[in-house]
Amino acid sequence: MASAASQPLSFPPEIFAALTPTPFLLAHLNPSNPKTPSLRANGRKASQFRTPTINTNSLTHCSGSAVVRLGDTAVVCGVRGEILLAKDIPNAPHVELPDEEGDAISNNNDDDDDDVTEITSLNLLVPNIELATGCSPAHLPGNPPSTLAQSLSQRLLSLLNTTRLIRASDLRIMYRPPTTSDDDDDTPPPLQVVAYWTLYIDILMISLDGNPFDSAWGAILSALQNTILPKAWWDPDLEILLCSDRVSEGKKLKLRGSPVASTFVVFEPGREKGVQEQRTWILADPDSFEEGLCRESVTVVVDYVEGVGRVRRIEKGGGVVVGRDELGYMTKLALGRWSQWDVVLQEEME
Amino acid sequence: MTDRRRISGPSVGTAPPIFSSTIVGAEKAQLKRPVRTRKPSELRKIFLKTGVTPSASGSAYLELEFPSPSTPSSQKKTFLSPSSTLKLTCTIHGPKPLPRSSPYNPSLLLSTTIKFSPFATRYRRGYIRDTIERDLSAHLETALRGVIIGDRWPKCGVDVVVTVLEGEEDRWCGDELGGGSDGVGGVGGWGSMGVLAGAVTVASAALVDAGIDCVDLVTGGVAAVVGRSRSLGGKAQQGDDEDESFVVLDPSPPEHAEIGAACVVAYLAERDEITELWSKGDAGVPAEELVDQAVAAAKATRNVLVEAILETAKLKFPDAVLSTGKSGGDIDMTG
Repeated sequence: MASAASQPLSFPPEIFAALTPTPFLLAHLNPSNPKTPSLRANGRKASQFRTPTINTNSLTHCSGSAVVRLGDTAVVCGVRGEILLAKDIPNAPHVELPDEEGDAISNNNDDDDDDVTEITSLNLLVPNIELATGCSPAHLPGNPPSTLAQSLSQRLLSLLNTTRLIRASDLRIMYRPPTTSDDDDDTPPPLQVVAYWTLYIDILMISLDGNPFDSAWGAILSALQNTILPKAWWDPDLEILLCSDRVSEGKKLKLRGSPVASTFVVFEPGREKGVQEQRTWILADPDSFEEGLCRESVTVVVDYVEGVGRVRRIEKGGGVVVGRDELGYMTKLALGRWSQWDVVLQEEME
Repeated sequence: MTDRRRISGPSVGTAPPIFSSTIVGAEKAQLKRPVRTRKPSELRKIFLKTGVTPSASGSAYLELEFPSPSTPSSQKKTFLSPSSTLKLTCTIHGPKPLPRSSPYNPSLLLSTTIKFSPFATRYRRGYIRDTIERDLSAHLETALRGVIIGDRWPKCGVDVVVTVLEGEEDRWCGDELGGGSDGVGGVGGWGSMGVLAGAVTVASAALVDAGIDCVDLVTGGVAAVVGRSRSLGGKAQQGDDEDESFVVLDPSPPEHAEIGAACVVAYLAERDEITELWSKGDAGVPAEELVDQAVAAAKATRNVLVEAILETAKLKFPDAVLSTGKSGGDIDMTG
């Protein structure tokens, strides 16, 4: 009896989090004691992201690979190149090729050439995310890909295409047919595209604690930055496409910029019955617990082009809280987040 | 029928690259075959760690040492990886109550899944489970079922998910066309045996991490009957092969031109019991020795497992292990 009285009637935090999640997070963000700083349940400030860590090229069978960790979220991404022969393609798109080798090099620096239709019409980029690895209790194998997995794959593909990250010129495999005896002109026959590299970008969630999109995109970006495609040529005698197995002869992908995604959620405690709170909080880089409580989410993709911050994409859905001011605030945070990613990405590129 | 729930790439299909160095003459290529530098009774170094997936009730990661540590993969010279390695993660979800609709089950319902990632092997694998994966899952289930004390969780289920990030190869890349390691028309599939042994060990570590009661620690071990590489002798004749074959522990299939038979066991060292035995190929007379050697490999793996689990225990229960650690120290002093 005495021992029972000495113990205050209290539960550990996990019990509160499970029973009354919204008031639990609210009590952290809006502490009753004004001296306590306003922190989230995971100890971060509302605008604070988790620091990414990257480890690249640890997979043997990939042209490029990366393992990205954001707190307790861990993602593996492997990029594999396979060959799509041009003669197999029905209704091949017309490709305007540069006439000379010299032109091809100068064109690489030119970002204006529109090659997105070439990549999209041939489906040369194939990103797929697999959540059913037991990465969290909600995603167990044995079922078809969940709605979340399907939508994530599509969002990643769409972002790859709209940011024009990959150049079609890096994926083309060229061949110059030998001069035939019939034409006596000095001009050699033009270069032709004999095949394309198709990039299979497979993403495996090893551990999921919120924010799968940012981590998956970071893993794709880092893997692509470190991808080396083998040197490939058409062998007219064997009539097959051969590759050189020497890494030194391979070619790195020249990406257009390095866009970084930042996801935010909006916490509206007033939505729950019995909670008297009209304020809302914008939480950067949410974890699983916060994602479960918030309805509205915004993903801002930014990049720096010649030192100027640019918005590459904004996705918003699920609520009505975020307006123009909030979007501006998030974009500012996203630009700050870009530098964080840039530091770790640059380290891995060396 | 295309998979509409995933992004499927070009409709006409794509082919993996063919490397010019693999189509040269077979004899010339044999010189590049990786050579086993370990002793026949020596295992590759194992890295084992628990707690990689915090959202799961138990998890573990296992990696085998890459045979040539002098050249890390970031500075690799060639796209063709001569040898193979193993990288596995395992997560355990549960024990959790079964859905109300399911019939009464007096003991823990175990469901195991082994899934290869698309980039696990030399050729890209699909997302849909294939027969090899189903087969391996069934083997893993039998290996674990004999260890778990299932009566303690009636009406409950547990999911064991092993993801193969990188799997052992069935044969060396130079043998793809030549048919070495029984590539063409032979038994083949040697790589999956190593994968199963690793999966048993990693699942065992994850079971302990999840705190599921077991009668003992189960570990996997592989042994194989291999022939001496012909390229070394050059004059080895068909008749000599049987005399020349010997048993190795923890074989890496690319290192052997001929594998006669292989055996995997899941072994409980304390109780001296085997919960799973899987043997392939024609072992002939040394069949019993093959099983004994596989058990020896499992015993050696157990040391790594015990160490990894001790590390987990130190993290989870710092007080409890501190006291045993002291007593352990005392024993060392007196001994």
